Amino acid sequence: MKLQILKRGWVYVVLSVAAFISVFPFIWMLIGSTNTSAEILKGKTSLGEALTNNFTHLVEQVDLAMLFYNSAKIAVIATALTLVISSLAGYGFEIFKTKMSERVFALLLAMLSIPFAAIMIPLFISMAQLHLINTHAAVIIPTVASIFIIFYFRQATKSFPSELRDAARVDGLKEWQIFWHIYVPVMRSTYAAATIIIFMANWNNYLWPLIVLQTNETKTLTLQVASLLTAYTPDFGVVMVATTLATLPTLIIFFTLQKQFVQGLLGSVK
Amino acid sequence: MSGLKLRNVRKNYGSLEVIKGVSLDVEPKEFVVFVGPSGCGKSTLLRMIAGLEEITAGDLEIGGARMNDVDPSKRGIAMVFQSYALYPHLTVRENMGFALRFAGVSKDQITKQVDDAARTLALGELMDRLPKQLSGGQRQRVAIGRAIVRKPEVFLFDEPLSNLDAELRVHMRIELARLHKALAATVIYVTHDQVEAMTLADKIVVMNQGVISQVGSPLDVYDNPDNVFVAGFIGSPKINFLKGVVEGVSKTGVTVTLPGYSDAKISFATKSALLVAGDSVTIGLRPQHFNTSGTLKFKLNVELIEHLGGESFVYAGNGGGELITVATQSGRGLKTGEKFEARIDPAKALLFDQAGQRVR
Repeated sequence: MKLQILKRGWVYVVLSVAAFISVFPFIWMLIGSTNTSAEILKGKTSLGEALTNNFTHLVEQVDLAMLFYNSAKIAVIATALTLVISSLAGYGFEIFKTKMSERVFALLLAMLSIPFAAIMIPLFISMAQLHLINTHAAVIIPTVASIFIIFYFRQATKSFPSELRDAARVDGLKEWQIFWHIYVPVMRSTYAAATIIIFMANWNNYLWPLIVLQTNETKTLTLQVASLLTAYTPDFGVVMVATTLATLPTLIIFFTLQKQFVQGLLGSVK
Repeated sequence: MSGLKLRNVRKNYGSLEVIKGVSLDVEPKEFVVFVGPSGCGKSTLLRMIAGLEEITAGDLEIGGARMNDVDPSKRGIAMVFQSYALYPHLTVRENMGFALRFAGVSKDQITKQVDDAARTLALGELMDRLPKQLSGGQRQRVAIGRAIVRKPEVFLFDEPLSNLDAELRVHMRIELARLHKALAATVIYVTHDQVEAMTLADKIVVMNQGVISQVGSPLDVYDNPDNVFVAGFIGSPKINFLKGVVEGVSKTGVTVTLPGYSDAKISFATKSALLVAGDSVTIGLRPQHFNTSGTLKFKLNVELIEHLGGESFVYAGNGGGELITVATQSGRGLKTGEKFEARIDPAKALLFDQAGQRVR
């Protein structure tokens, strides 16, 4: 009995340490946003009084509304398109399996191993040829057919009962109607989980937007937050406020869809 | 209500043939049960009728029209699935009216038809609930309701009771029989449960390895099985099969001895010219046919007794390893290891040739 309590105690200790390590950067960011740059550099770990000041300086340096608009536009459109295209592909790969589709899918999975850096230059050339450099479309288009999300939807579709599809066929639904009227609502927790993953990836996307977005009018919040650090003497208080603001949308999305996110990861259909 | 015809219907998956030329007539308003062991092709055949599986060869007719290439929704069928297949995001009312909505039926008409079906199945209080808020039996009733609403020519049931507990299964079985009478519907029902088959069917279709082994009324299939498979599959407890040898053949019949049972003899009145003296045959004896007045006697030792209350199943042997099952209502006093004389009327015995076919 004592041994069991001891073992459980150790588990709690380890979990507490892991939780602290995970949450510490977030807490540090929140505390930092209320302190001056000098206080942050001194390692002050308590809340300060510089939040308003930091925010004012941030607003003076960047067009916050435009940055939010750019980031939100890219993240929302990319998320919506990725959900539609990748879920259709995942559904198709699982439901309409053929030898050829299996080969194509295997090829797609193999492509996951290619690092983005390797396709960056050809992708840039393609976008240039399409005259899309310095447009938000150039950021969105390469992300909408996400192999990982296709794979995620294909795996989730394995739990979609085939009898529902049969029942819908007997009820007179065409394939696209089965997808839209049955599959989408039944798999909503899968969609919720995917929404969080895709939105966060697009909101935080840095490298590719850095390459294709070349004027301040098209840049995203993430790019501008990073550029704040490139100053000769960065104001870390301002950086922390900007980072906190940049984190808020993903936090809101996550907490809104948290329940469905967990369900989606556990399997949509019970 | 329409009838249905299958003519030499086949189904192949690549080189694997799973339905091997099935021909069958289902009369209007008939309750036909496909029964057979797992993998015999009964569900595949039902899905082919529904249009959920392509027919590789042969013809399917419903109401006199060829339906091989017709969309499932236009075949005049409705199907009830084993797992109910209710749409989990829709209420009972929406589930029941779903097909009509996509068929372009007006809202008022959908409401009327759904309400009519709900009344038939006493679903009134459940109409605004989601499937997850229903019990297994209620879900099954909704699934049946969804089928009724469509007013189909033929109802197809794919093992609809197999997910229910024993008590509910009996209840739903009675409900289904009642419903069939009330709707005067043509029904094709798939099950591996022979009790369901015997109690519900007007006509039983016993399937084995992709072919029909026998078609007939429940009692006909039970009393006069065409082969060893049907005799073994229909009837619970399972029929006893004893090894026999043809001793003599005359113009009026054959005499068979049972070497394992003190050379007991049974005479069969048959005009079959296929058997000759010395042939190995199989004798089938139903456990329920044993009684206290039969002239064919087996001296056995009781090895196991199962008391079911109303009757007992006695498993007895004569040391040869083969056990005979006897269903008796006077087995309460028997004990394991006791000597036991099983008696049966020889006229009840069934004779099968070496290939397992019935000799009549």
